[in-house]
Parts: sequence; C-alpha cells; structure tokens
Amino acid sequence: MKLFTKTLTALAVSAGLASAAMAEAPKTVTVGYLNLVNAQLVTKSLGLVQKEMPGVDVKYIKVGGGGDMLRAIAADQVDFGGLGNPPTAIGVTRGLPIQGIMVLNMLDYVEAMAVRTAAGIKSFKDLKGKTLAAPFGSTTHYLLLKALADEGMDPASMKILDLRPNDIAVAWSRGDIDAAWFWEPNLNKAVKDGGHIFMTSGIMASRGYPTWDVGIVMDDFAAKYPDYVKKFLKAECAGIDFWLKNPAKTAEIIAKELELPLADATRMMKGTEMVPCSKQLTGQYLGTAATKAKSGFVETLLSTSAFLVEQERLPKQMTREQFSDFMRPDYLEAIVE
Amino acid sequence: MTDTVDSPETSPWYRRIGPPTRYQWMTLGSVACMIGAWFLVTEFGLANELFLPHPEAVFKSFIKVATRGYQGSTLLEHVGVSLYRIMAGFGLACLVGIPLGILMGVSRSAHAVFSPAIEFYRPLPPLGLYTLLVMWLGIGEESKLALLFLAGLPGIIIATIQAVTQIDPIYVRAARSLGASRRQLLWQVYLPGAGPIILTGMRISLGFVYTVLVAAEIVAATAGIGWMIWDAAKFLLSDVVIMGLIVLGLTGVALDFTMRLIGRLLMPWTRRQRSVP
Repeated sequence: MKLFTKTLTALAVSAGLASAAMAEAPKTVTVGYLNLVNAQLVTKSLGLVQKEMPGVDVKYIKVGGGGDMLRAIAADQVDFGGLGNPPTAIGVTRGLPIQGIMVLNMLDYVEAMAVRTAAGIKSFKDLKGKTLAAPFGSTTHYLLLKALADEGMDPASMKILDLRPNDIAVAWSRGDIDAAWFWEPNLNKAVKDGGHIFMTSGIMASRGYPTWDVGIVMDDFAAKYPDYVKKFLKAECAGIDFWLKNPAKTAEIIAKELELPLADATRMMKGTEMVPCSKQLTGQYLGTAATKAKSGFVETLLSTSAFLVEQERLPKQMTREQFSDFMRPDYLEAIVE
Repeated sequence: MTDTVDSPETSPWYRRIGPPTRYQWMTLGSVACMIGAWFLVTEFGLANELFLPHPEAVFKSFIKVATRGYQGSTLLEHVGVSLYRIMAGFGLACLVGIPLGILMGVSRSAHAVFSPAIEFYRPLPPLGLYTLLVMWLGIGEESKLALLFLAGLPGIIIATIQAVTQIDPIYVRAARSLGASRRQLLWQVYLPGAGPIILTGMRISLGFVYTVLVAAEIVAATAGIGWMIWDAAKFLLSDVVIMGLIVLGLTGVALDFTMRLIGRLLMPWTRRQRSVP
C-alpha cells in the first residue's frame, strides 16, 4: 500500500512536472553489477547507459555476489543493482527499498555443479559422506538443497561448506572438496582440474526451479528520476539486443571484460539465457503491470522465500501481493512498444 | 619492580565485599546509558530496524539461538567452537611468542635474525594473509588456527622484548654475582621482572586474535560465533548479528578478566604497588 501511494506520487510528479523532471537530472548514477556473464557487461563496455544519459556521471561497481549486493543496497551505495532470486527474496522480506525492473538473465549451465571425476559420483546418492561447497544464500545453494530434497537425500549425510566462488576454486585445486555448485568464470577452473559437470541450473529450471538475476532500482532514485529508470532500461535492452544479434562481438567483449580466453567466453555466453525486453513482459517472466501478480518471477520469489523460511534463513513468509508490489514492469512497458 | 602500578587492572574490586565504589557506579552508569540510548533510539523509530533492531528482538534471537540453535548448532556450541579456536591460536602464540621474545630481548643476534620476518608480516591485512594460508593449509581447522596464531604472535613478542630489555641490569648483575645459573636468571629475574608487561602484551594480543575471528570463520566454517555473524549478515538477520557481537564481546571481557586474575595470582608482587582507590 505504501509502495502504491509512493508510486502514485511518483507518477503524479513525473506527469505533472514532465518538463521540470526533464531538467532535473541526477549528478551521478551508480550501477552495481554482478561478477557473472550477462549482457550488462556489453552495456558497460559499449557505454550504452552513458550514451542515454549525457551529462550524468555513470559509475560501475563490480559486486562479488548476492550477499555483497544486499549489503551495498542496504548501505545505499548503488542506484541500480542486480540480484539472484534468493537474495531478492531476502531483500524484499527484510524491507530493502528496492523495485525489480527487468530480467538481467536466466541461469542455464553458466551455473552448474562440478564433481571431481575421481570421486566417482554418478548420482545424488553417491554424494553421501562427501564434501560439497556452495556460496550460502546464493542461487546455487538454493538449487543444491532443492535437488537434494527432491532426491530424498538428507543434507546432514554429507558435509556442505559455505565458500565463495574464488575460495571454491582454491579448495578444489587442493582436493579439499569433491563437488561444488557455483558459477563461471571460476566453474571452468574446477572442470579443467579433474572435474566434470554433474548437474546444471538449466536442468533444474526444466524441473520447475528456474533461477535468474533481476535488475533492481532503489525506491528513492525511481521516485526522483523515473525518466532515468527508463533511460537505464533502454540502454540495458540495447545491450541485450546486441548480445542476441552479435554473438561473436559479444564474446570478444566478455573475454576482454573478464580477462578470459575467447573460447571460454563463448561457452559461458551460451550457458546464460538473455531475454529480449519485449519478451520479458510475458507471463513467463515479469508480466505486465496488470498481470504481474501471476508472473513467473513472482511465483519463483514465493517458492524461494517459502524455502528460505523453512531453512530458518528468513523470519517470515511474504505474500504474493508483497512480491508483486516489488516487481515493477511498468517502466519497461513504457519503453517497449 | 615495574612502572605499571596503579592502572585499574590491579585494583582488587573483585575481592571487595560491600557496596560498589564510586568508580563501579560510573561503570554501571555508562553501560546503562548505552543500553538506554539503544532502547530510546529503537523505541521511537529513529533507526532503521534493518540496521539497529530493538533490544527485545535481539534478546528474543538470543533465546531462540540458545535453545533451538542457529543452522544446526546451539549458541553454546557456536561459542564453544570459537573459544576453542581462540584459545588454541592464542595459546600457541603465547607458547611461541614469550620464549622467542625473551630470547630476542636477551640476545642481540636472535633479535637480528627473527625481527625481519616478524616486522614484515605484522602489518599485513589478515584477509590477504588468509588467502595464502588457505592455499597452503586447506580449508580445515589448520588454516583458521594459523591465522589466529599469526594475529596474536607479534603483540606478544614485541611486549616480551620490551619487558625484558627494560629490566634494571642491576638485578641481573646482582643475581649473577650471587652465583645464579642461567636457568635461575630466567625464572628468578627475567620472568618475574618482565611478567606484568608480558601480561599486558598478552591482553592486547588477545584483542587482535578476536579481530580476525570472523575473518577466520568466513571460509568453510559451519559453526562458530564468527561464522554465525557472517552467515546471518548475508541474510540480513541483523538481530542475530548484534546478538552474536554482544556474546562475542562478553566472552572477550570474560577471557581478559580471567587473564588479569591469573596474572595477579602468579605475580602477587604487582599488587603491592597498587594505589587503593
């Protein structure tokens, strides 16, 4: 309700004072981007956001993972950010002042569970007594526990460690862990070092557990500069279109941004699904302002938070309305025609 | 024997029976003011609940974690694991640091040999060091203990060197002229003379060990109070974070108090020089 009145005010301000709002521009726009492979790297590298906002100082901050992004948001250090579905559920439940405005990417095999080939893990049952790692609170930790639950495995029958992706790479190279569910670019190091892919986030998506990253904007920024939210989305949509139309050039950009060999960048690209902005407004993703309550993203947030509540990581279950209030496809609707 | 005389550490208030002194009232008052301010700020909604939860919420999370646990371990188990790591790392630092410090204080050549390594690693940030320790020692207990050990070591060594070098040479000469052996010199002159400053160094070192505890428990821990704080922060459970910090702080105060008590029992001569408040 609070968000609703806020929205009304924001709309009134932007409609009534359209000319004034045009004149009023933020001095700086800070974009926090996740250290993973998606079209934000293209947008950043081509300076598309800057082109949409002449005269504004556009800053990029690289953020290691969802937990760090939540802290950056809580400390009001970014205007735009990106979050996977578990951190989004956490942020919304804990009342962070954010709105979901776009689909950054759907996670396919760019996130996967690597197992040490020598450990002889053929099925989930073989994980019993083994040492696993995943960054707790991330999309992959969520999928790991979901997969174990579906297989009827007790997580207590194995050792699951909380490690960040770069620490997983170190622990893997020392032989301290037998399996890890994490993401590129570090995932590839494990695969090359005596491992192979056992399960991917894409397979889990086809089983009904999609994972994704959503682009977010801070409430205050959106209320003050609604036009700049649209400008930002225009730039990101252009980045996504570039990704879809120019895979070869995109791979070069990603290789440069992440300092990877071109072949690796190409493979990682294929493991991430980019959704063109016009398609993002369908029910599978964000839906529209009218249909968002039944959208795929709200469904995922509901089931993710139910899972986190069960895990005692979240104190309370938010309602469909509350998650629906968080999702704001209307900015995207305004620019997609 | 030393100059560290009437610091509050030597005041024997724990032995005193009767009404609290003026200073104890001041201590109580300052604690009450802090808690009172916390109550007021949260009660009137002056602070975002996400950053500073109400004391009641923190107390509730204390009861919940103490009885039902946090992610598979009760509060007592978390504290136990962390205290074990702290005591092992710190104990090891004392076992190595005090003899090494005495050696370096007595012998110039020992000082010349060991000081470069110690001076070099001392200012390194623990997290930078930790990455290397994890690579060398793995993600198990070894790397955690090594980090805590390395955090505690320099403070003890430096305090011990300082303590040994400031011993009045007259005592050493007097003991020598009375025919004291090397061992007697160590036990009868150096250790008693240096004791109070070594103890101060140990107390400061324990503080350093505490500062790296959360860092040590970030990597691949599944229990420990530092891990609990880190994990809860990821889920923005600020009530658990603050509760964990308070518990951690209280264990630190308790350990420090124990050390002072042991110091006073082992070195009764320091009590003679106190000024009674």
